[in-house]
Amino acid sequence: MDVIIDEEKWLAEGIASVQQNAFYMLRAVDSDNLREALKYSAQMLSELRTSKLSPHKYFELYMRAFDELRKLELFFKDESRHGVHVSDLYELVQHAGNVLPRLYLLCTVGSVYMKSKEVSCKDILKDLVEMCRAVQHPIRGLFLRSYLCQVTRDKLPDIGSEYKGVGDSVLDAVDFVLQNFMEMNKLWVRLQHQGPAQVAEKREKERNELRDLVGKNLHILSQIEGVDLEMYRDTVLPKILEQVVNSKDELAQHYLMDCIIQVFPDEYHLQTLDILLAACPQLQPTVDIKTVLSQLMERLSNYAASSTEVSDHSLALLVSSFDTICLLTMSILQVLPEFLQVEAFAKLNNAIGKVIEAQIDMPIVGAITLYTSLLMFTLRVHPDRLDYVDLVLGACVRKLSGKPKLEDSRATKQIIALLSAPLDKYNDAVTALTLSNYPCIMDYLDNDTNKVMAMVIIQNILKNYTCISTADQVEALFELIKGLIRDIDESPGDELDEEDFKEEQNSVARLIHMLYNDDPDEMLKIICTVQRHIMTGGQRRLPFTVPPLVFSALKVNSLVRRLQGQDGEADGEEAPASPKQIFRLMNQTIEALSSVPSPDLALRLYLQCAEAASDCDLEPIAYEFFTQAFILYEEDIADSKAQFTAIHLIIGTLQRMAVFGVENRDTLTHKATGYSAKLLKKADQCRAVYACSHLFWVDEQDGIKDGERVLLCLKRSLRIANAAQQMANVTRGSSGPVTLFVEILNKYLYFFEKGNPKVTSSAIQGLVELIRTEMQSETSTPDQGTTAFFNSTLRYIQFQKQKGGLMGEKYDPVKL
Amino acid sequence: MASRRRKLLKIIILGDSGFVNKKFSNQYKATIGADFLTKELQFEDRLFTLQIWDTAGQERFQSLGVAFYRGADCCVLTYDVNVMKSFENLNRWRDEFLLQASPSDPDNFPFILLGNKVDVDNGSSRVVSEKKAKAWCMSKGNIPYFETSAKDGTNVEEAFMCIAKNAIKNEPEEEMYVPDTIDMTNRAHSQTSSGCEC
Ligand SMILES: Nc1nc2c(ncn2[C@@H]2O[C@H](COP(=O)(O)OP(=O)(O)O)[C@@H](O)[C@H]2O)c(=O)[nH]1
Ligand SMILES: [Mg+2]
Repeated sequence: MDVIIDEEKWLAEGIASVQQNAFYMLRAVDSDNLREALKYSAQMLSELRTSKLSPHKYFELYMRAFDELRKLELFFKDESRHGVHVSDLYELVQHAGNVLPRLYLLCTVGSVYMKSKEVSCKDILKDLVEMCRAVQHPIRGLFLRSYLCQVTRDKLPDIGSEYKGVGDSVLDAVDFVLQNFMEMNKLWVRLQHQGPAQVAEKREKERNELRDLVGKNLHILSQIEGVDLEMYRDTVLPKILEQVVNSKDELAQHYLMDCIIQVFPDEYHLQTLDILLAACPQLQPTVDIKTVLSQLMERLSNYAASSTEVSDHSLALLVSSFDTICLLTMSILQVLPEFLQVEAFAKLNNAIGKVIEAQIDMPIVGAITLYTSLLMFTLRVHPDRLDYVDLVLGACVRKLSGKPKLEDSRATKQIIALLSAPLDKYNDAVTALTLSNYPCIMDYLDNDTNKVMAMVIIQNILKNYTCISTADQVEALFELIKGLIRDIDESPGDELDEEDFKEEQNSVARLIHMLYNDDPDEMLKIICTVQRHIMTGGQRRLPFTVPPLVFSALKVNSLVRRLQGQDGEADGEEAPASPKQIFRLMNQTIEALSSVPSPDLALRLYLQCAEAASDCDLEPIAYEFFTQAFILYEEDIADSKAQFTAIHLIIGTLQRMAVFGVENRDTLTHKATGYSAKLLKKADQCRAVYACSHLFWVDEQDGIKDGERVLLCLKRSLRIANAAQQMANVTRGSSGPVTLFVEILNKYLYFFEKGNPKVTSSAIQGLVELIRTEMQSETSTPDQGTTAFFNSTLRYIQFQKQKGGLMGEKYDPVKL
Repeated sequence: MASRRRKLLKIIILGDSGFVNKKFSNQYKATIGADFLTKELQFEDRLFTLQIWDTAGQERFQSLGVAFYRGADCCVLTYDVNVMKSFENLNRWRDEFLLQASPSDPDNFPFILLGNKVDVDNGSSRVVSEKKAKAWCMSKGNIPYFETSAKDGTNVEEAFMCIAKNAIKNEPEEEMYVPDTIDMTNRAHSQTSSGCEC
């Protein structure tokens, strides 16, 4: 705290003195008094000799003096005012007492001297850059040299520069800046060795603040127009790099590499990649080369991207109908031949390999980050070169091999970025499936990350509606996402989050729906592959994965039937993808659910298959599925609610099945009605039994129409309703049974209208009266819903009566 | 007397869109630290030297701070008409400038706004409208506004003329410095502590 307060005080004092001396200096200038002006300017500049200020504060003081010197410079320029020729002035200022003020003044006059064009710039520049050696104090020296660099920069001999004298060449400018750069770099690096070790941290901070003074030289070099590619490649870059490497200083090396990359143009980098990259392995092992190289690659890939921007846009419209990769390749080949020429990829790859090799201690995350940026680069610049992508992944695998699974979260994050990049680029997971090293990397992930990555892959497929259409692709895909398909190690992870698990498995289920091929044989292979994988999933996963597989498989059957319809031949028995075979497979698949157990789900799937088999005209198979469903019903469905639901599903399915011959159908309907009558609750029994009536009356051309048995069902349900009524009277209260009568009445009306001769108008009339009596005699208050239901049923009958025509006649005998 | 030497005008260019370069180059070459160019300019019979300061857009190349803002006569704010963020950053740049340069009359300090890079994609990638920019200028005390391209030179000359005019207009009565009564002439000799003679 004290230090900061003291520093403020010292700065304020310094500024006050600068202002005061500047005041006298300007007064002398106004009266054209050169001697006085020099005296006060030297005193003013003496303030810069302080050792008490941090670079930041020193910069403030320096800027004060800097601004004042600009006014002095204008005075120097005007010989008419002070009467001393600039060449004499150049000698004169060298008499100032202290070195630092003297050199500031010399640089200022030197700048005027060069501007006068009376002297060879080359000589002055050389003179100044040498003279400044006299200041070896790092901070003072660095600021002095940055002053030198600033006041000379517009007079450097350059192409088209008016200050380029006869003997001067661009090379003189380059030599000057390079030499100044080297001197500054030395001062800067040396600063770290000054003072006691305890203040090392503070010194590093100060060095960091000073860095732009050094980097500025590189900026100036980049602005010299005469530095063409050749000079850059042969002189400028090698000299800078030599200085960088030899400094053996982490801070300097990292910063200066960054500067080189940022100040010089992309074209130059492309053409000198080998030189730049060759320097990387020579840097100190602690230098964060990955950031440096990533920045380089980012620049180059931005450059590549900006050159393709226009064509990219119009391409977007075409990609849906053409092969994306192919088109992009062509466009990039057109715009970017230089990238191919210089083999940027090979060079970067090589360099990264060397860097990783040289830096044994680099944490794994560093290496992966490097590979990720290389991958981004190649995806952008060479989107056609899948081999490059695989190469990068392969290099990563080698780096990871022999190591335990990754646990560092930063490293796993990077891997996810690495593996996501090709997916995002191609928007086509099929492409990723062709990369042989892709699954190898997934194997190095811990289980959780592996799952995250598997989810990324699935989401990508779902988002892009990627069609995975061969069994081989499916095999590769399921190998990639196996972390979601089965428990990878012994711990089946009871610590799993239930929500996450559901989401994962639902995604797998959606994925299964995306696997499709028009060719039934290939599709069957796909089904078999999926089946093989999901069967390993264990009881927690099967309920999610079996249903989509069954539905996918049933799609194959409709495919086969469509094809058969086209070919006119019906030998589905012999073809590899015969419906029989698929049904056999499905039978096994659904059976696996019994281990869960999940009888409700299995029952639904059996019924679904039975119906599909019926559509395929395969009576024995349909019968078999029904049998399975009945067995499940009898043995595994115990809950009365579940039973009621199951019975309705059974009845509904059975009613739609046209495949059964009389005998089989009788057996099945008999069973179904039997189950119905055995339900636990009377109301359930009643409803199931009247539903069974539909099994004997199918309202289609050739549908069964057994009026007698319909009536039997209806009567039976009436009896059950009666029994229920009596029970209700005993227990009082419940208003249920009357509703049952009204429901049955509606069934009567249905069959009456459908022309079932066994259902008569008098039966209807009787039922109506029965309900009326029941409603009046009911002990509890009549249920509103039931009353409304009954009333609207009566209104319906009334309506039909009045309608006239055949229906009116039919209803005529019913008296309300 | 004062007018005889006050011929230097200091101009600071700030913002997310680079503008001054010795010569326009399509290729990006980052600026490091602060850098100025000088331009001579004749205005109403007087010769002026414009000292135009360009700054590094990338923050990591501005390690020494912004002490050079001090004493500016005009501040040129730039943004890239194709990048919304660069427009949104204008307030920040302006506030930062006023804070660091601490001009004597901040409310009337001359700013100028340049909407740069209007050439890009023939204007089809533009995201900040002229109307929006002008409204901002209005809200900051009617700052002059130019739409420029450093690439094809659109409005560059005009902008510089306006910058110079405003800088000259700003010309304050010379900041009167009254020397301290305490004589400090000997301080310089006693303060160097390093023992080094330079
Ligand atoms: N197309 C176009 N590019 C510009 C224009 N002005 C500047 N640029 C580009 O913008 C970049 C300037 O970068 P700059 O902002 O100076 O970077 P900084 O030095 O890091 O702040 C260069 O690549 C210029 O080519 C313009 O008017 N039009
Ligand atoms: Mg710049």
